Amino acid sequence: MSAAAQGHIFSHRHLLGIDGLHRLDIEYLLDLADAYADATRRDERPEPALADKTVVNLFFENSTRTLSSFEIAAKRLGADVVSMPVSASSIKKGETLIDTAMTLNAMRPDVIVIRHSASGGVKLLSRKVDCAVVNAGDGAHEHPTQALLDALTIRRRKGSVEGLKITLCGDLSHSRVARSTTLALHLLGAEVRLCAPTTLTPAGVETWGAASMHTDFDEALAGADVVMMLRLQLERMDGGYLPSRREYFRYYGLTEERLALASDDALVMHPGPMNRGVEITSAVADGVRSLITEQVEMGVAVREAVLSVLAGNAA
Amino acid sequence: MKTIWTNARLLDPASGTDAPGGVLVEGGIIIDAGPHLAETPSGADAVQDCDGRCLAPGLVDLRVKTGEPGEEHRETLASASEAAVAGGVTSMVVMPDTNPVIDDVALVEFVMRRGAATARNRVYAAGALTVGLQGEAIAEIGLMQEAGAVFFTNADAPVADPSVMKRALAYAAGRQAVVFAKPEDPALVGSGVMNSGALAARMGLSGMGRDAEWTAASRDLILAEGAGAKLVLDQASTARTVRLVEDAAARGVAAACTVAAHHLYFNELDVGDYLTYCKTSPPFRAEEDRLALVDGVARGAIQAVVSAHDPQPPEEKRLPFAEAAFGAAGLETTLSAMTSLVHNEQLTMLQALRPITCGPADLIGLKAGRLAKGAPADLIVFDPDAPWLCDREKLRSRSTNSPFDGRRLEGRVLKTVVGGEAVYSA
Repeated sequence: MSAAAQGHIFSHRHLLGIDGLHRLDIEYLLDLADAYADATRRDERPEPALADKTVVNLFFENSTRTLSSFEIAAKRLGADVVSMPVSASSIKKGETLIDTAMTLNAMRPDVIVIRHSASGGVKLLSRKVDCAVVNAGDGAHEHPTQALLDALTIRRRKGSVEGLKITLCGDLSHSRVARSTTLALHLLGAEVRLCAPTTLTPAGVETWGAASMHTDFDEALAGADVVMMLRLQLERMDGGYLPSRREYFRYYGLTEERLALASDDALVMHPGPMNRGVEITSAVADGVRSLITEQVEMGVAVREAVLSVLAGNAA
Repeated sequence: MKTIWTNARLLDPASGTDAPGGVLVEGGIIIDAGPHLAETPSGADAVQDCDGRCLAPGLVDLRVKTGEPGEEHRETLASASEAAVAGGVTSMVVMPDTNPVIDDVALVEFVMRRGAATARNRVYAAGALTVGLQGEAIAEIGLMQEAGAVFFTNADAPVADPSVMKRALAYAAGRQAVVFAKPEDPALVGSGVMNSGALAARMGLSGMGRDAEWTAASRDLILAEGAGAKLVLDQASTARTVRLVEDAAARGVAAACTVAAHHLYFNELDVGDYLTYCKTSPPFRAEEDRLALVDGVARGAIQAVVSAHDPQPPEEKRLPFAEAAFGAAGLETTLSAMTSLVHNEQLTMLQALRPITCGPADLIGLKAGRLAKGAPADLIVFDPDAPWLCDREKLRSRSTNSPFDGRRLEGRVLKTVVGGEAVYSA
């Protein structure tokens, strides 16, 4: 445990976003996740913190990695897990979001993990249920467990996030990862630089805690300790926001040559899934500096920490 | 029978009166009004003592939606009128975007007939500017006008094609018909749901840029200028829109604009935690825009304040913000919003009342909205200081999606009179 978070009490009922968390809340969760990650690496089974608990994964939007990450985390801790992809069933029958939530709530789960395509959708649901709610991504708003796993990955490699120069590049306008991760890294003391083409640059990034906003990727990369590439939806590159894939790659693709502008021991991250050859080359993605698979590993640890803390609070 | 309304603080923006006085009514018409009626004159058959409260013309509201015909679960003309008279609104114009669209004579007559038969206040119809609000073919403006339609508008579906708008304005000008146009470029607004800016970006919501209002306002003002048409921009929400109208008016264009009462009271921060009751179109803007709109009302650059009453049931509002319907219920809170601005010392009482009485009446040629000989006896008695908590459960509209829910307001209607008959008493 880091000294700072020792004895800290995580007092939130839900995890809806990084916004509203205190630095100590984040460090507390990271410390716990760190221990889970170590245990897994030692092939140890953690305490069954979720034994006799029911966790429902309610995903209104398709997801493979986040859903399986939550499933594995809950199962490792001994929970009964039900995963419900809702996009297909009830919404088509005209059942409203709130009706779905109330129906589920009546089945008395202990934690509901929700992904929804609308910003604020998870918060809306959280007001209608009695159990703890984890936001697994809501529209372009927040994706807090992604931010926590990014922070944990960096912290384990660099010892601390404090003072690091971290560059995030990609579709900032539509990215919930960019919002949550920027908020979290800023709270932990990093200098966060954001970079995007002007058509994908949101207003007011200083309110997210970003230190600077760049259009020129080379400038944003100079001396960076960590470079985090964001996924760019391919349909945004058909002339609507950006002229073409190749033009995007020319100015914003992370190549080995471009990575040389960052600090000598710079690390490379990506929340996945990647568009190889668009925002990142395979040489960089699979290179020695890449933490991309480690991010996935830390994702499970972070979700174990979040689920155990919230289930514990609810008990 | 003559009835004297006396012992009142007489407020008549049309004549600039703010003094003790009274109003003499006979046969539903005002036959005399002024400070000389502060004392009960001889010859009155009945006396209504206002107990020193404010006596003013009833409100004239140029933008009301109900669900009648077609979506009566949202609101009927009758249920809207209950909210209206409780809010002091004695004349209201209903928008044509119902189901079916009010785009021919029979439907205009339907609205007027239903209004007369079921509503407690006066109901006027606005006709569709284009057939079915499709923005393609000009509707029967002349015939609908003869049937009683007071102005023509495409409501919340602004005409996208400038050539259609140009011809519609030219045609309306030839028939001396007034056109109301919401200044909004649909393509630029796109899928936006709240004011563009740092807050929308932070919340992960797509923005409705102010530029979408400015380009549409500029286009329509230029087209109205060429056509010689009388154009009212429906719900300005930014400082610059008001300036565009003022500039056009200075060039001699018959241009005016309205603002929704909620835009004088709220700004984008009120959307807060994805509060869908604060989701309106145009959206609540930045504080500097709100202040500029209040200033526009104060100096008369904005001729009318509307309620923009748009009843939406819970199933349309209890949704994620992006998916929820636009619109706010407002009939019952317009006067209180204005008197609250008087309390904040942002407006004088007459400045607050002008754009909800004679201002809108003059835009569409109604005799109502003033305490003048020959005007209809549509009156309100109100207490500008009465504090009240707006609780949506107690609102009279069938849908109570009010952004004022939970707000403390100052100023309440005590009595509403339409054509000399009391239709509401607190």
